[in-house]
Formats: sequence, C-alpha cells, structure tokens
Amino acid sequence: MEAEIQIKQLFKKYPDGTEALKGINLEIGKSRFFALLGPNGAGKSTLVRILTTLIRKDSGEFFIDGFNPESDFSKIQGTIGVASQENEIDPSETVENTLVFQGRLFGMTKSQAAGRARELTGMFQLDSEKNKKAGILSGGNKRRLHCALALVHNPKILFLDEPTVGMDPEARANFWEIISRLKRDKGTTVFLTTQYLDEADRYATEMALILNGEIRYSGTISEFKNMVAPGNNMTLDESYLHYIKTLNNNELTKKYEEA
Amino acid sequence: MRRHNMNSASVILIKRGIVKLLKQPSAPLTGFGMSLFFLLVYNAGIGGIGDMEAFGTGGYLSFVFPITIISLAMGSSSGAGQTLNADMQSGYFKRLYLSPAPRWILVISPILADTVSSLFFTVLLIAIGALFGVSFQFGFVSVLGILLLSFLWSLTLCGFSAGVMLRTGKYQSAAIITNAVFPLLFLSTTFLPRELIKSGWLLAVSWGNPVTYILEGNRYLLAGTSSPQFFIIALIIFVLTSVLSVAFALSSAKRIKI
Repeated sequence: MEAEIQIKQLFKKYPDGTEALKGINLEIGKSRFFALLGPNGAGKSTLVRILTTLIRKDSGEFFIDGFNPESDFSKIQGTIGVASQENEIDPSETVENTLVFQGRLFGMTKSQAAGRARELTGMFQLDSEKNKKAGILSGGNKRRLHCALALVHNPKILFLDEPTVGMDPEARANFWEIISRLKRDKGTTVFLTTQYLDEADRYATEMALILNGEIRYSGTISEFKNMVAPGNNMTLDESYLHYIKTLNNNELTKKYEEA
Repeated sequence: MRRHNMNSASVILIKRGIVKLLKQPSAPLTGFGMSLFFLLVYNAGIGGIGDMEAFGTGGYLSFVFPITIISLAMGSSSGAGQTLNADMQSGYFKRLYLSPAPRWILVISPILADTVSSLFFTVLLIAIGALFGVSFQFGFVSVLGILLLSFLWSLTLCGFSAGVMLRTGKYQSAAIITNAVFPLLFLSTTFLPRELIKSGWLLAVSWGNPVTYILEGNRYLLAGTSSPQFFIIALIIFVLTSVLSVAFALSSAKRIKI
C-alpha cells in the first residue's frame, strides 16, 4: 500500500498534564476513505490538529503525501484541505468573495479563483446566496460555505473533523455526494472523524479506533465488524457500542480482580 | 494552479487588511479627524504667537503641523489589532492559518495594512497643510522625510497595539498603546519651542521623550526651526522601535490558541 499519511510513534501531552496521544502509529493509503472513531476526549481532534499542522507534536513523526511538516510546511498546506468542527468563515465578506480570496491565497489567478468559486457555489447549492455576506447566512449554509472553503484548491487529502455537524439531512446528503464524487473522480484521500457512525459505515472503508490516546484497532470496517461479532451482520454503530461495552466490562473486571 | 508565492500571499493579505479598514474606517477616520481638529484649533487659538522669532519663517501653523501627523497615527493604530481580533473571534484566523502563507505574514499583514492606511491619511493631511500654508523647507524631499518618520512611528504603534491585543485577546486592549503614548505628547516641545519653555523639569523630560525627536525632526524638514540631528536621531529611534514592535507582535502571536 502506498501510504499517503504516515504516522510513527506520535506523542502529545498538554500543559495541564493530559496525555492526548500515546504513541500513535497509522498508515493511510492513497485514495482511501478512512474514519477515525472514538468517544469524546479520546484524542481524535488532537491527532487531526497535529496532522493539519495547527498544533505541534511532542515526539514521533508524520508525513503527508511524503512531505515532512518540519521542512515542507507550505507543501503540506497546499496538499490538504480541512473542514473542522467550527465554522471558519469571515462574516463580513460575501460567499463569492470568501471563496475567491481563498483561491487567491492558494496561488490561483483572479480568473481561476473566480471560476472555482462559481463551481463550488454550484456544487454546494449556494448560488442564490453568493452575494450575501457570510455572517447573515443560515446555520446550514454557513456550514456549506465552510466545507466548500476546504475544497477550493482541489486538495489531494481531505481532513474532515465532524464535518456535517449542524447540517440538515438534505445538506448532509449533498455533502457526502460531493465527497464521494471527489474520491471517485479525483482519487482524493479522506480522513474523517465523526460521531455519526452511520456516515462512517456508509462511506468509509477503513477505520481506526482511538481510546485514551491509543489506537485499539486499525483495519477495514468489515474486519472490525467481523472481529466484534463474527457473522452477526451488525452495523458499525452496533459493533462500536458492543466493542466499547465489552472493553469497559473487561476493564472493570480487571480492576475488580486487582482490588 | 500557480505555485504558491510568499510575496503574492503577503500582497493579498495586506490588500485584505486595507479593504477591511476601508469598510470599517472608524479607526483611521478617528485619527484623521483628531489631527485635523488639532491643526485647526491650535492654529486658530494660539496661532498669533507664531509671529515670534523662535517659530521661524513658517509661522505657528508649520510649527504645530508635526503634532497633527503624530496624532494621526495614534488615532488609527488600533486597526491592526481590531482586524486580528475580528478574525480570531469569527474563527477565520484558523482558516488563514491553514493556508500556505507563512504564519508570520498573517500577523504582519494587518500591521502593514494599518500603517499604509495611516500613510495615506498623512499624505492627505500634508496636502491640506500645504493648502493652509504649511512650509516645506526642502520641498518634495521634506515630504518624503515626513512620510518616512510617519511610517516608522505608525509601524511602532500598530505593532505594539497588535501585540498587546494578541496577548490579552481583547480588541479593546489595542487602544492601550494610544493611551500610554498620549501623555508623551504633552511632555515634549509640543506647543512651544525649547527656548520658550521655562520649566526645567519639562525640558529635562522632553530630552528623554522620543516624541520630542520626531517632532523636532519634522520641524527641521518643515520650517528649519530645528537641527538636522533631531531628524537623524528620530530615524534611529523609530527604526529601533519599529523592529521592537514587530518582534513584540510576532512573539505575542505564539500565544494564539488555534
């Protein structure tokens, strides 16, 4: 497998003493749809923030499309697109200007950026909103704009950190259709973190399960389901809950025995 | 797609900063209004004393004109901090942070945009001053010298204001620098030439006050009532303070929580 994202022995400890990542090792292949799953506070967002160069790791190393974040910072930024949990939009700018400016920041000419903005407003059903200031858009449309911004420069790798939070079912379906098309037509690699396990089940093929900063499982989703309940045909949601429950019971039993 | 170029990102970000200031021009317009007010009121109120020899051939208007230029930058220096703060509050700073533009440019560009905007209003003020009869001893060279000092003074204030805002995380704190510098205006040769100041302590304080050097440097360029050394010393002081303020803003940026 040609790894597009390579993570080796990644550690991160916050100043308050929280060990967010405890030696993460992962390899994600080119054009794969990968989902990182885990409960709140497990370390998902920390890992995404490190991989997208928003925060620094303590030790270990990682490569994005072969680029090292220490020496190839701007190449990594040009390779990845990020749609995180919170909207990152300029409320005082129009939808169209926001998209054009984003394109210009990524080195597009004015006409290239304007063309790309037209494409994206169409794709994300924002045509009728393009002259409105982002600050007055509805919550769902703000979310669409936020996600569209991540795609302006046609990134090879997409980091989606809870991307569909706040979207109505129609917008959510539209969003996944766009992402699926990107993956199919352009071979975009997708790194997703989500609490909506049905979305991961439907679109992702590979996954890792992170608990307390450690990877507990890494492989395909079908293998995971099979490992949890062989031949039971569970959904990912059911398999995940079953796995966590079993794990908690085992840990409780272990603590009880130790006591 | 073109390969990303650091200069193009800087230009785009500076342009964005200027457009932001023009869309919400309260900071630069406050500075400009305050300066014009000083010029008109001081000249109307005490302009008569300009007939005294100590004020030189340019009269009181040329003597008091540097104050208007200095107060212009003071009034508008909080713009960079406010732009940065607005981007952080909206989360848009994170989006900029994820672009290939070098991260230091994200902090420097609003500072430069604010400084360029301040220079624009300085040019406007110089034009108004010229219409009112302010004299420029060396003609265009005087104008260039005044613009150079204004640029450095403005950069100093904008850099410190942005730095304070980044450290406190509150847009109101961008005005701290203006408030801190304001008393320095009155502890200098603001209203009268050194020869006419009778108070020993004020004279002593004015020697240690950097505002004195920018005032006197400008006066040398305007009506020749001061010596060229003031201009040179002002240049050295404000190159140093500009470097310090930009370094302060950049070091403050390390505290930003993304």
